[in-house]
Amino acid sequence: MATNPFKITLLISILSIAIALILIWGTAQTAPNLIRYSTLSNAPYIKVESINVTANGVYIRLAIINNGALAFTPTGGWVEVVETGQVVNVTIINGTAIAKLPLTPQWMGPASVGVKGIVSGTLNGSRAYIAFFDVAPIHVINTICIADVSYTDCVLNVTLSVDTVVPVVIGPIINMSLFTASTPGYYVFETIGVVNTTVYAPAGSHNVTLMIRVSPVLGRYTYVYSCNYLSGFSKYTLWLPIGVTYMYPTGNVTDYILLTKTFVVGGGS
Amino acid sequence: MRVEALLQFALAIAFIVLWVFVPTWSLSGVNYSVSLMPWGFVVRFFGETHVIPPPTVYAVWLFALDAGLLPLVWRRSRYSLYLATLFSVLSLSMLMDTILFQQRYLQFHGYTIAPTPTGYIYVSLPTKPVLGLPTYILLALTILSIFNMITRARWLGTGPEDPIVAVVRVLKALNIEYSRIEHGVEVGGVRIVRQGGSLWLVRGGEATEVDLKTAITETVKVGLRQPVIGVVDYGED
Repeated sequence: MATNPFKITLLISILSIAIALILIWGTAQTAPNLIRYSTLSNAPYIKVESINVTANGVYIRLAIINNGALAFTPTGGWVEVVETGQVVNVTIINGTAIAKLPLTPQWMGPASVGVKGIVSGTLNGSRAYIAFFDVAPIHVINTICIADVSYTDCVLNVTLSVDTVVPVVIGPIINMSLFTASTPGYYVFETIGVVNTTVYAPAGSHNVTLMIRVSPVLGRYTYVYSCNYLSGFSKYTLWLPIGVTYMYPTGNVTDYILLTKTFVVGGGS
Repeated sequence: MRVEALLQFALAIAFIVLWVFVPTWSLSGVNYSVSLMPWGFVVRFFGETHVIPPPTVYAVWLFALDAGLLPLVWRRSRYSLYLATLFSVLSLSMLMDTILFQQRYLQFHGYTIAPTPTGYIYVSLPTKPVLGLPTYILLALTILSIFNMITRARWLGTGPEDPIVAVVRVLKALNIEYSRIEHGVEVGGVRIVRQGGSLWLVRGGEATEVDLKTAITETVKVGLRQPVIGVVDYGED
């Protein structure tokens, strides 16, 4: 044979090793152009949905905003309120993160607070942590409602359930009336004007009683049709427009609210 | 064609075909994974898929194909087995180099951080490196090609030795050129033909039955005088 197999082998070996080396070198050279960087787009984030200050405590509700295809499921976390320095763990209730903090005097001052924290959970099955800082307005929630009503011998007893963050002064009463919840309705009594009965309730959850002697003594335009419930009627409605003064540290705020209660007398209907 | 060489070819083809379906190497994880396929690294990241083709990845299967094909195409010299071994080793080293490319340029620390309107999100993405089945086949190919190189692709037993092969071996050892004919071997004008269990020496028109010893001496005698082109698989040095 004319060609020597050894020479051929040597030639091909050197050639293929050279090709391999060039490829390794070329790959290293082109690598920066080959690779690309990718980050999460439309990643879920946390916003403070609401801060409700109630007599039972402060409730911070965190909204998880999933604005992409990625779904975040929260499992835990903590929040810190910057203004009060309170740190508390969040609890997950039906997929929303809620933090409950004790009510402290600092909550009476600001109109909004900064909340920072971390919510842990899973993003498409991978463990993930969302860190956030958000400023949100404070909603102070005070509730006053009529718990019980009784009317005997021209004396009206109204038990109010008071659930407030600050101490309140309840009263005066303007234009109250008691009438039967029927068609047509009949007045039991009716006042036109201001009844200066007030009652004080401290902050927190309390029941207070307003006792009002309904008689013409109250004013010129007081009409009393009966000193007791009307016979033949068992369902009545009390209409109680009332002034409430909230004693905030920053100053007193007076609100006029309408309390109504429809109730049944004597167990019947 | 030797079965050993065919086996080497089969392993090379199995490696390439299997690789189309199974990655040779991968970083497996839930939302982030990297798979090394014949066309490059396939990177999955939260539903996005990117293909990163380092040039070395093509050399992996091209060299593997050469390592399987060469012993079938070039059968005359044992150098083809040497070259096939070189190709299989090169294929394996190109695979290693491609995996190193990931370690160097596609390095991943197991997490991602992204900014959000109110802060940032940290996602833990643990991954586990896995060597795929095709890599083991490539390793087997390399080992087999080395073994074939050492044994000249003759490690499979061929039953009781053919007396003709015994004659040929002596001729080869003495560097006598010969040619294989049907059921025998020809050196110069002399043929040794096997018929059933006996050997026949054919010179000119006459044939005589001979034993193995005589057959070898007669062929050597003739062979030292008259060169003839001989062909045998991987026979030449």
